[in-house]
Amino acid sequence: MSLESDAAALRKIPLFRNVDDQKLRLLAFLSERVRFDAGENLVEEGDFGDTAYIILAGNADVVIQSVNGEQLVATVKENDIVGEIAILIDVPRTATVRATSDLVALAVSKEHFFKLLTNFPDMAVEVMRALAHRLERTTREFGRLRAALADG
Amino acid sequence: MESTLFGFIWRYSKRQQIIILGMTVVSFPILYMTLELPKWIVNDAISGKDFPKSIMGFELTQIPYLIVLCGIFLGLVVLNNGVKYVLNIYKGVSGERMLRRLRYILYNYILRFPLTRFRKVSGGEIIPMITAEVEDVGVFIGEAIATPAFQGGTLLVYIVFIFAQDPFLGAAAVSLYPLQAYVIPKLQRRVIMLTRDRIKNIRVISDRIAETVSAATDIKANDTARYHLADLSDRLFLNYRIRLAIFRRKYMIKFLNNFLNQLPPFFFYSVGGVLVINGSMSFGALVAVLAAYKDLASPWKELLNWYQNLANVSVKYQTVVENFDVDDAVPTHRLDGLGEDAINLTTPTIALSSLAVSGGGSGQEVLDVSMEVKPKARLAVYGRDGSGRSELLLAIAGLLPPIAGRVTIDGHRIDELSHAMVARHVSFVGSEPYIFNDTIRDNIVYSLRTEPRRDGENGGTGDVSSLRYAEATLTGNSLLDISAPWEDYERAGVSDPSELDDRLIELVELVGLEGDLYRLGLAAHLEEQLTESFADKIMTARAEVVRRATEDKSWAGLVELWTSGELNNSATLGENTLFAVPSDPGSRVWEAAFDPTVRDALKTAKVYDLLVDIGASVAATMIELFSDTGADASLIGDYSFLSADEIPLFEQRLRRYNAKPQKPLPQEDADAFVGLAFRLVPGRHRIVTLDAEQEAKIVGAREYVHKALKGNDRYALFDEASYIPPLSVEENILFGKPRVDRRGASERIDNLLRDTVKELGLRDPIARAGLNFEVGVAGGRLSASQRRRIGLVRALVKRPDVLILDAVADGDKALMTRIMDACAEHTLIVGTADPQIAKTLDKVAVMREGRLVAQGPWDSVQQIAIDGVAVEALEKEAS
Repeated sequence: MSLESDAAALRKIPLFRNVDDQKLRLLAFLSERVRFDAGENLVEEGDFGDTAYIILAGNADVVIQSVNGEQLVATVKENDIVGEIAILIDVPRTATVRATSDLVALAVSKEHFFKLLTNFPDMAVEVMRALAHRLERTTREFGRLRAALADG
Repeated sequence: MESTLFGFIWRYSKRQQIIILGMTVVSFPILYMTLELPKWIVNDAISGKDFPKSIMGFELTQIPYLIVLCGIFLGLVVLNNGVKYVLNIYKGVSGERMLRRLRYILYNYILRFPLTRFRKVSGGEIIPMITAEVEDVGVFIGEAIATPAFQGGTLLVYIVFIFAQDPFLGAAAVSLYPLQAYVIPKLQRRVIMLTRDRIKNIRVISDRIAETVSAATDIKANDTARYHLADLSDRLFLNYRIRLAIFRRKYMIKFLNNFLNQLPPFFFYSVGGVLVINGSMSFGALVAVLAAYKDLASPWKELLNWYQNLANVSVKYQTVVENFDVDDAVPTHRLDGLGEDAINLTTPTIALSSLAVSGGGSGQEVLDVSMEVKPKARLAVYGRDGSGRSELLLAIAGLLPPIAGRVTIDGHRIDELSHAMVARHVSFVGSEPYIFNDTIRDNIVYSLRTEPRRDGENGGTGDVSSLRYAEATLTGNSLLDISAPWEDYERAGVSDPSELDDRLIELVELVGLEGDLYRLGLAAHLEEQLTESFADKIMTARAEVVRRATEDKSWAGLVELWTSGELNNSATLGENTLFAVPSDPGSRVWEAAFDPTVRDALKTAKVYDLLVDIGASVAATMIELFSDTGADASLIGDYSFLSADEIPLFEQRLRRYNAKPQKPLPQEDADAFVGLAFRLVPGRHRIVTLDAEQEAKIVGAREYVHKALKGNDRYALFDEASYIPPLSVEENILFGKPRVDRRGASERIDNLLRDTVKELGLRDPIARAGLNFEVGVAGGRLSASQRRRIGLVRALVKRPDVLILDAVADGDKALMTRIMDACAEHTLIVGTADPQIAKTLDKVAVMREGRLVAQGPWDSVQQIAIDGVAVEALEKEAS
C-alpha cells in the first residue's frame, strides 16, 4: 500500500499511459483507496457520479437494467478502470458495477482530475490524445458495423 | 433629559464639581508656597545673616535652618503632587461616573423607543453615539467648572494688579478683550456647525459600514463593491472638507487670539515708554506691568482652550441627546410596571373598538377595526402581507400604540398597562423572532428572564455586591445583578432546572425541533454541562458500539475503533502516538509536536527519531509532488500538507536533515518534521508504509506519553472507559474513526448510530445536550425555520394566556395542529396568509387593505378571503 504501487496501477490505464511519473504520483496522492465487500456496488446505473475507480485487487460485474431484469454485460478485474466517463462529462452512470469478491480500488474524483488537467496542460494533451485514439477506434468500428449492416 | 450639557452636569454632579473646585482652591496656597519657599531658602538661609533663627521655638544655626527649609520644601512638593494626584483621580472618577450615567440613560432611551421608531433608526448610527461620541464628554466633565473658576480667578487677580499699578495701562491691557469676546464666539459658532456636520457625516459612514456587513451577500452577488467604495470615498472626502474648514477656523481663532494678546505690549512699550520718559510713571511700575501682562497670557490661553473644548463637547452632547430624547418614548412606569396593582387577567376578553394603527409608514395602516376575542377563542387573522394583518396583531399584543380607537383586555386599555403586565399574559411571535448569540437553551428561557429571583438560592439576593451597588446608585444605573438567577420557574410551571429542561424538551418536541436538536446534540462539545449520569449513558452506548462492531460485519466495515494496543489507520499519527487530543477542541493535534513535555515523552519512548524520519519523508514527498511538478498555489493550498510559503522553508530543513550524520538537526526542524508526521493518516495518505515493528513502536509510545501528560489540563487522554470532553458527543459514543477507505462511512454510521441511541434511550439526553448548542450571531447557525420554532418555544414556555402568532406556521399545517393542542386552555390568535392554516381555526377574520372585511368560520368567509383577491385581480386586469 504505497503511492508507488498506486501510481503504477494508474500507469496501466490507457487514459494515463503517457502522463509523467511525477504527475501520476500526484494523482495517486489525491485519489483515495477504497474497499468494497463482495456484493457491494461501486457505481449504480442512473446515478450521477463524479468518481472513476481503478481496480487494484478483486473482480466486479458490469450489469445493466433491461426489460428482462439485470443483464451482465462485462466483468472487470485488476487494473481495469470503471466509471471514467463520469470524470470527463456529466452523464448518468450507464451501468451498475458490482463487486463479486472483496475489492480494493483507487477512487479518482472528477474535481481532482480536472484540477490536475488545468494545472498541467501537457497532461491534458496526453489525455486528449488517449481519448482521440479511442474515438478513432470507435468511429472505425462504427463504420465497419454500418458497412456490415448495409451489406446484410 | 437635560437639553444642554451644563444642565446635565449641574443636575447630576453639583457636589462633585464643588468638591473639585474646593480641592483646586486648596491646592493653590500649596503651589504658591512651593514658589515662595525657594526665595526664602536663597535669601534667608543661604545668603542670610542674623543666625540663629527661631522656628516654632527652636533656635537654629545656618546649616540646620537650611536643612529644615529644604525639608519643608520637599514636603510641600510631595503634598502639592499628592493633592494633584487625588484631584486628578477625583476628576477622572467624576467624569467616568457621569459618562456611565449618560450612556445608561441613552441606552435606557433605546429600550423605551416605540417600535415604529426602530424603522427609522439604525444600529450603525446609534452605536457610535453611545460609545465614541460621548467619550469626550466624560473627560470634559471633570474640568467643567474647576478650570474656568480657577483660570478666571487667576486672570482677574492679574488684571486687578495691573489696574492697581496704573489704570491707564490696565485699560490698555484689557482693551482688546471685548473685541476677542465678540469675534471669537462668532468664529466658534461656525466651528460648532461644522462639528455637527462632521458628527452626522461620521454617523452616516458608520451606518454605511454596518449596512455593508449586513449586505455582504448582495454586494458580492451584484458586483457592486465599486459602487460602495465610491460612495464611501465620497463620504470620506466630505469628512476631509469639513475637517479642513474646521482647521481653518480653529487655528484662525488661535492666530487672532495670539495676535491680540501680543498687541498690548506694543502699547506698553510705546505709550508706557513715553510716560516713563516724561516722568509721569515710574520705570519699576512699567516693568511690573509688563511682567504681570506676561502672566496674563497663560490663564487666558487656558480659558480659551476650555471654551473651545466646551463648544465642541456641548455640540456633541446635543447632537447625541436630540436623537434619544424623543417625544413618543414609552413612559418609564409602563416599562417597569412599578406602582401598579396586579390585575388578574387569567381569562381575558380582548376587545377592539374602531382601532386604527400605523405601522410606521411601510405597511398598510389598520383602519377602523372592531371585534371581540373571547377567552379560549381560536381566531385566525387572514390577510396577505401589507393587508394590515401584522399591524393589527402587533396592536393586539400592545406593541404598536393605536392612533385612534382602543384595544382592551378585560376592560383595561392595553396601551395603559405596563409591559410587565402585558408580557405576563400575552405572548407574541413574529415570523422572524430575534435569536441571540447564545445557546438554544438561553434563547428559549429568555422569555422567563424578566426579573432576577430573590429566593436566596445560590446565596444571591438579586442585588449586586456592595461596591457595584454603591456605584450603580451613584450613577443612577440598574441595581439588579446580572449574575443572579433570572429564570422564573414559577412562570414556566416548574420548580427546578431539571424540570425546566424536561419542559423545554417537551416544547421542542411539540414544535418539531426534536430531530434537529438531536443532531446538534451529537455534534456538541460538552464541558461544564457534562453531568456524570450523561457520561455514564454515553459509556453504555460506547460499550454497545464496541459489541456491535465485533459482532456485526456492517459495523466492523465502517468504523475503526480506538484500542489502546493497536494502530488506528483512519486516525492521524498524532492521535495515534499521543492517544490523546488537545483539551481545546479548536486546536490541532499536530500542534502538540512543539510541546516540550510531549517531545521529552516521545524521546523517552524512543519513537522521536522515527517520527522525524516519517516527517522528513512526508516533506520530501510534498515537495516532489507539489513543488517540483510546478503545481499552482490553489492546488498546493487545498491538498498539500505544506503551504506554498512553507515549501522553501522545508526544502532547507530537508537539506539539514540529509546532512544529519555530520551535524545534528536543530530542535526546531525536528519538531517541524514531527508535526508533519502527526498530520499523516496512514490509511489515507499512502506516503509512508509502516512495518509491524514501527507500528508497535508508535503504539508503545502511548504509555510514556500518558505518563508524562497525566494531570496536564491541556490534553485529554483517551481512555476506553471514560468520556473525553474535547470530542463531540458522537465521537465519544463511537470512540473511533469512520474508516477512510469506505465510501460514505460517516453517513452510514449516522444511521446505525441512530438505531443504537434509540434502543438505549439516549435520544432524549442527547437532545438535551443539543440545548447547549451555540447558535451564532443572530442565530446564523440555524435555519430560518429553526429560528422561528425557537421563537415559538420561547413564547410557549412562559405559558401565556393569549398567544399571538404572525405567519409562524404558514405552510406547516402539522405544526399548527400541534400548537392548537398545546394551547387548549389559552386564547390563540394566528395571523396567516395561508388558507390551509386559516381553515384549521374556529373563526377567521379577513383583513384587506387595512380593513376587517369579513369575520366567521372559514366556510363562510372563504368566498371573500380567496375570491375577493381574485375579483380584485380581475378588476386590475380589466382596467
